[in-house]
Amino acid sequence: MVALATAVPLAAPVELVDRLTFAAIYGVAGLGVGLLLGQCGILNLAQAVFYGIGAYASAYGCVELGWPPVAGILAGMAVSGALAGLIGWPTLRLNGYFLALATLALCIAGGELFFEWDWLTGGSYGIGGIPALDFAIVRFDKPEKFYYLAWGVLALALVLARNLIASRDGLAAQAMRDAPDAAAVLSIDMHALKVKMFVLSAMLGALAGSLFAHYVSFVSVQSFGVERSILFLLVPVLGGARALSGIIIGALFVALVPEALSAFGEIHHVLFGLALVAVVILCPEGLAGLWTRLRGARRPARRPAPVTTAKEVEHVA
Amino acid sequence: MTAALFVQALFAGLTNGFVYALVGLGIAVIFKGSRTVNVVQGEFVVIGALVVVGLLDAAGLPYPVAALAGIVGGLLLGGFTEVAFIRPLIRRRAGEDALLLVSIGLAVAMSAAVLYVAGRGSYLLPAVGGNAVVNLAGATVRVHALFLIASGAALVLGLAWFFRHTMLGLSMMAAAMEPDGATVTGIDTERMRTLTFALGGALGAAAGILVAPLTEVNYQMGLALTLKGFAAAVLGGLANPLGAVAGGILIAMVEAFGIVFIASGYKNVFAMSVLILVMVLLPNGLLGRRARAGG
Repeated sequence: MVALATAVPLAAPVELVDRLTFAAIYGVAGLGVGLLLGQCGILNLAQAVFYGIGAYASAYGCVELGWPPVAGILAGMAVSGALAGLIGWPTLRLNGYFLALATLALCIAGGELFFEWDWLTGGSYGIGGIPALDFAIVRFDKPEKFYYLAWGVLALALVLARNLIASRDGLAAQAMRDAPDAAAVLSIDMHALKVKMFVLSAMLGALAGSLFAHYVSFVSVQSFGVERSILFLLVPVLGGARALSGIIIGALFVALVPEALSAFGEIHHVLFGLALVAVVILCPEGLAGLWTRLRGARRPARRPAPVTTAKEVEHVA
Repeated sequence: MTAALFVQALFAGLTNGFVYALVGLGIAVIFKGSRTVNVVQGEFVVIGALVVVGLLDAAGLPYPVAALAGIVGGLLLGGFTEVAFIRPLIRRRAGEDALLLVSIGLAVAMSAAVLYVAGRGSYLLPAVGGNAVVNLAGATVRVHALFLIASGAALVLGLAWFFRHTMLGLSMMAAAMEPDGATVTGIDTERMRTLTFALGGALGAAAGILVAPLTEVNYQMGLALTLKGFAAAVLGGLANPLGAVAGGILIAMVEAFGIVFIASGYKNVFAMSVLILVMVLLPNGLLGRRARAGG
């Protein structure tokens, strides 16, 4: 599988390589959303804001301030993380609907700010001329080369995510998701954990945004609206929020399918929304979960609570 | 700031306030009857308005008939949404996040469908009283705005009466608050939920028809409208239709005066900030837990 992935840019047409590179970038952002959704049960619809912060940090930093690209990336991640912590601290006390809608509100407000603060973002004119990433030995200026960088970053992020999930924090998060009361009894500070995960998710979004900026060399506000947040949400939802392989599946789906569907014309937006609905209703574990089920893999079944039968009651009586 | 500007902002806030209140009304009604938050409410508003636009343009129907048809359309759309998408999930005892994901997916799909059918243009409906304006204490207010405020107030009072004094309204509330108890007394809870969504859809369409003469309606408005309506509903206590009015007006006032004092580009930022503040600081609305419980 890995060998195949490595060989792709050498053989495939440029458009496909381009799409696959986007898949990796979306995957990084989607991983952030997926960690929150799969491990904490939180719906984060604000990822586009952090994506935008990363992109503009890189864009503004490199183009206007003449920073080296790495500084832009780190600045983006720092600002995103700080913002996530600041906004997350009060809002992550909310639950379910309220929290999700709060993140959606943040996304809409953020989108408007990107548009209004055109001294920073260039508004709808955008910022162009973002330099390609140049690490002395290699210059990532073509899709074929950026492909390796993007997928490398995604692979690294997935490995780190796997370690996180298996770590103490990860287990605590799963406890928080599956049995909040028990988690509280075990004195897991759920709120601090949620904020930590939210900050991490935001930083992943910013990283993806910076990669995006350096890849396409031109960014404008259109890329950072609600539709983008929903796209990132689709990565774990379509692919499967619990399994990390789901992120890859979801990212590939999200990058490749709209292009394929666009053959149908304008209606493909509708189909996309319906795809989300269909997946949630028909296979709630996402495509990865579907795959696991088809392969007959056993998932730990929750033992139902013992039912008191009439016989048992008679015994007690 | 002059008195005239103040009154102008006041009426802008009042008019927009009732718009948000109407959207919030739909959300509150649906929550009252089904304990779910309807993220698609804004789309109901947009679709309701555009259906009437289409009927007026294409079929040349007289305005009242087209408006009524639009409301019936909203009713059917609401009911269909519940039966096709919400019911399977609730039967499966799906969690809140599944319901939310489906709602968001539907909102996206509906918005895209509107784009597909109506294109990127913005549409206006003819206003009651045309372009006539009234001069109130130095401020210029459109006749239709007053009509909107009056209609909104009438709808709210009508709903309050409906939920408190009719069998159907009481059944809907009962089905939402205590599904098992309601079933025991012979109330079909699934049917009540469908009817609630249908009512919400009709309210959304009505809101759209009232708003479209004042503000151009386009395919993108749905989600922002839903959020503002949700803010109004939460501020009012989520299950309290009267509260949604208070909430809507408050938010619109913040917007209107924010625009006057600061800048108009930040309109959504104000509204969204109010929403987040409300949710964090006043999750039970202005009236507290009492309003939330049975409202």
